[in-house]
Amino acid sequence: MRAFVEVQDLRRVFDVSKPLLNRIIEREPRRYLTAVAGVTFDIAQGETFALVGESGSGKSTVARMVVGLLEPSGGTVTIDGTPMEGAASAAERQRLRRRIQMIFQDPYASLNPRWRVDRIVSEPIRAFRLFEGEAAIRARVGELLAFVGLHPEDGRKFPHQFSGGQRQRVAIARALASNAEFIVCDEPTSALDVSVQAQILNLMRDLQDRLGLTYLLISHNLAVVRHMATRIGVMYLGRIVEVAPSRELFGAPKHPYTRMLLDAVPDLAHIGRRREPVRGEIPNPISPPSGCHFNPRCPHANDRCRREVPPLADGVACHAIHEGRLEPGRAETV
Amino acid sequence: MTTPVLSVQDLTVEFVTRRATLRALDRVSFEIGPGEVLGVVGESGAGKSVTGAAVIGLVDPPGRIAGGEVRLSGERIDNLPAEQLRRVRGKRIGMIFQDPLTSLNPLFRIGDQLVETITTHTDLSASAARQRALALLTEVGISAPERRIDSYPHQFSGGMRQRVVIALALCAEPELVIADEPTTALDVSVQAQIITVLKRLCRDHGTAVMLVTHDMGVIGETADRVAVMYAGRVIEVGAVTDVVRHPLHPYAQGLMGAIPTLADTAERLASIPGSMPRLSAIPPGCPFNPRCPYAYAPCTTIRPELKPPGLRAPAVPGRKVACHLYDPALAPEAAAA
Amino acid sequence: MAGESGSALSDPPGPGWFARAGDSDTFASFKASKVAVAAAAVTALLFLLALLAPLLSPQDPFDPAQLELINSRLPPIWTLGASWPFLHATADGQWPFLLGTDDQGRDILSAILYGLRVSILVGFLGVLFSATLGILAGLIAGYVGGAVDAAIMRVADVQLTFPAILIALLIDGVVKSVMGSRITTTAILAVLIASIGLSFWVQYARTVRGSVMVEKNKDYVQAARLIGLSSPVIMVRHVLPNVIGPVFAIATINFALAIITEATLSFLGSGMPDTQPSLGTLIRIGNRYLFSGEWWIVAFPGATLVLLVLAVNLLGDWLRDALNPRLQ
Repeated sequence: MRAFVEVQDLRRVFDVSKPLLNRIIEREPRRYLTAVAGVTFDIAQGETFALVGESGSGKSTVARMVVGLLEPSGGTVTIDGTPMEGAASAAERQRLRRRIQMIFQDPYASLNPRWRVDRIVSEPIRAFRLFEGEAAIRARVGELLAFVGLHPEDGRKFPHQFSGGQRQRVAIARALASNAEFIVCDEPTSALDVSVQAQILNLMRDLQDRLGLTYLLISHNLAVVRHMATRIGVMYLGRIVEVAPSRELFGAPKHPYTRMLLDAVPDLAHIGRRREPVRGEIPNPISPPSGCHFNPRCPHANDRCRREVPPLADGVACHAIHEGRLEPGRAETV
Repeated sequence: MTTPVLSVQDLTVEFVTRRATLRALDRVSFEIGPGEVLGVVGESGAGKSVTGAAVIGLVDPPGRIAGGEVRLSGERIDNLPAEQLRRVRGKRIGMIFQDPLTSLNPLFRIGDQLVETITTHTDLSASAARQRALALLTEVGISAPERRIDSYPHQFSGGMRQRVVIALALCAEPELVIADEPTTALDVSVQAQIITVLKRLCRDHGTAVMLVTHDMGVIGETADRVAVMYAGRVIEVGAVTDVVRHPLHPYAQGLMGAIPTLADTAERLASIPGSMPRLSAIPPGCPFNPRCPYAYAPCTTIRPELKPPGLRAPAVPGRKVACHLYDPALAPEAAAA
Repeated sequence: MAGESGSALSDPPGPGWFARAGDSDTFASFKASKVAVAAAAVTALLFLLALLAPLLSPQDPFDPAQLELINSRLPPIWTLGASWPFLHATADGQWPFLLGTDDQGRDILSAILYGLRVSILVGFLGVLFSATLGILAGLIAGYVGGAVDAAIMRVADVQLTFPAILIALLIDGVVKSVMGSRITTTAILAVLIASIGLSFWVQYARTVRGSVMVEKNKDYVQAARLIGLSSPVIMVRHVLPNVIGPVFAIATINFALAIITEATLSFLGSGMPDTQPSLGTLIRIGNRYLFSGEWWIVAFPGATLVLLVLAVNLLGDWLRDALNPRLQ
């Protein structure tokens, strides 16, 4: 089966130089931040693929490139066989856009505060001319609001009249308004309270079952990812260090970083557990370590790790695993 | 029984606005013993941060303490004059906030800030205070403190800054530390380090901790006991394992079921319908009754008091719940009989 | 805590916008500020007087046929020994000159009412022009960014180094030398409005640009980009309504500034002509007679100008504070 979304060697470099005048006076060269350094993955139709990572891992940058909000510095994104970059005509590009939507992290910033909810939800319908006539559009908006668990009458309200969870429902209704098939969810619940988070996660799952949606889920919360994803990619400083089906990743993690993360998460299932002390902090992404980015914090690092970037093979980018120096398994068993 | 380090009795905080008087805290009571970590959890709007602020007398106007009392080692502190209260805050209560930059002055070296706090609140000389500061920095896990003590806050990473804040909170040897979302702004791997440091230090120094957070995972790993808040009230208190594994209050049950865990295999998460009421529209009786699957007649009229369960649950010392289901006098079967 | 009480305070859906506005926090702070209420009352009164000038004034000061030189430089009526309420008509059935007359026999009161009209008109259109220009420049600079932003903001910087009055005089001089004697009153009005507009657009541009740079990174703008809307559409539909708030405060304060600028230009002689005087023109005329003891020609228009500018300024100050979330 062909993958629905294919991401090939995606790269993104940001220019973080000081202004020209400062550079001349302070004799500083241009400085670049490599936010994403060659990321490759694919997502099958109807699947939930998750990217997890801490701050600076580049997961949100990947999300924005996949939906087309950010131009990649290199690499390609292909949706259902159509490359995003080479979309020949404006019409073709617009056809592709209709099929991809996004749910943002902060439901307080993702809805225009001056617009009523029905106008917000109907905007994609009008932009893609999916329904003709005001009556048909109004009926469709009501249907969408009911779909996400709101009342059609709620359309007359402004976003500030809703709670965070309800706003996120509105954002989901907007994402569904264009009949999108692929939805990128960038930390969809991290701004919400846990009881509301559960409502939204359940809603996302129900919608996936009913509409056959494909999700790319971006999150720093391992428990959420564990609950939602079929496959998971772990990112560290712009690279994917491990990709595995959810069960495998949590049952027998391979990369030392994945193990450290799993061990570090405060979790209700592990009350009273003694934890391995976590070593070090994430380095500054402007000047990442050479070789494997994780080597300064890795208990298994050797000279090769400090020199060579490990390729992603058999779902993991780690010399120790490739060389057989390290067996997959939870940190406790290492 | 030993005197608790912190004892809060019927604490009520009100916000007077143009339209109405809003009750942000409604007769909140709890105690923290020496060396104990009490987790205060709740979702946004539950009043957990107001509780922390009210204990140290830092409720911002138009809020005011409208009733109840706060005792620190048996001595009332909620009615102290501002100047005396300020001294209590510096010396006997340490504070750790979510954003370390609110506790650190960006214009002073961290060493100077530590030394100043120590000399203000103890009899130590400046050089002894500096030795003490170095020892504390080592204790919070900052390697080579001699090299870093003269750095400015911006030269530290987020996790390191929070370590410095912990050192600052502990340097006057306070009886109580109030930590308000101390790890929320940090990455997962750093969060674990900070929790470990906070827990170890408070155990070593015998300091009581009031840990305010929305993250049940952090509570589970750090706290000895936990108080669950809802709509400005404490609705359940107990040992952390009891409350997490066998919550009594229907809200606490819903909350625990809603949290995905790493051991998760469930298809669906339990979820509580609706959301927390606004302060201006707290329902009468039990504030949770409109969302509660077990609600019955008395829940909409009679306010449930926080007391040990008399029904349906074993009486464990220190376990209290504010729910009619556990009250022999008001439970549905009592009404039937 | 601010967040908690804030969310608790936000209004449930009200019956209509008028009732909601009457119950809003801004309106409450307005009612609480006595200065703001007084300033608004004075402003409203002066606007009403200007609007109803043809009905209220005893004389049309723009109509030379109604002027009699014999009436020139009459002092205010009470200095002539008339008794309250001064309103007995003179022998030939004319209204008395309540506040005296100027050198051409123009009734000062009528001249002030009509002058108020001119001043307010110039101020209003000048603000409208400068706000439109500034908002447009700020939107484009903030949204497009990069070289376009740098170019617009450098022009703004250069503009700021010249005093507004100098720019106004420059434009005025250029237009007058081009048009010469063919210049009409309408043309003078247009020149005044243009010169005021060009002197004051920078403040709008800077404010709007700052707000746009914040708003354009918010996710609702990204969501609009996702469905393929073009930049101009996003700017007008999504960003503009969210950055327009502070503009009203600036516009109110600038309205007062514009009136003063117009008065200054007219006082210097490059504004409204003597035949269709604004408040500034009246002050210039009166200034000539100040030392010969005819103080009323300059004093009453001057006082009106001070009253108008003060009231509008106080209103603007209050509006700026009320709209500034950091001061609440």
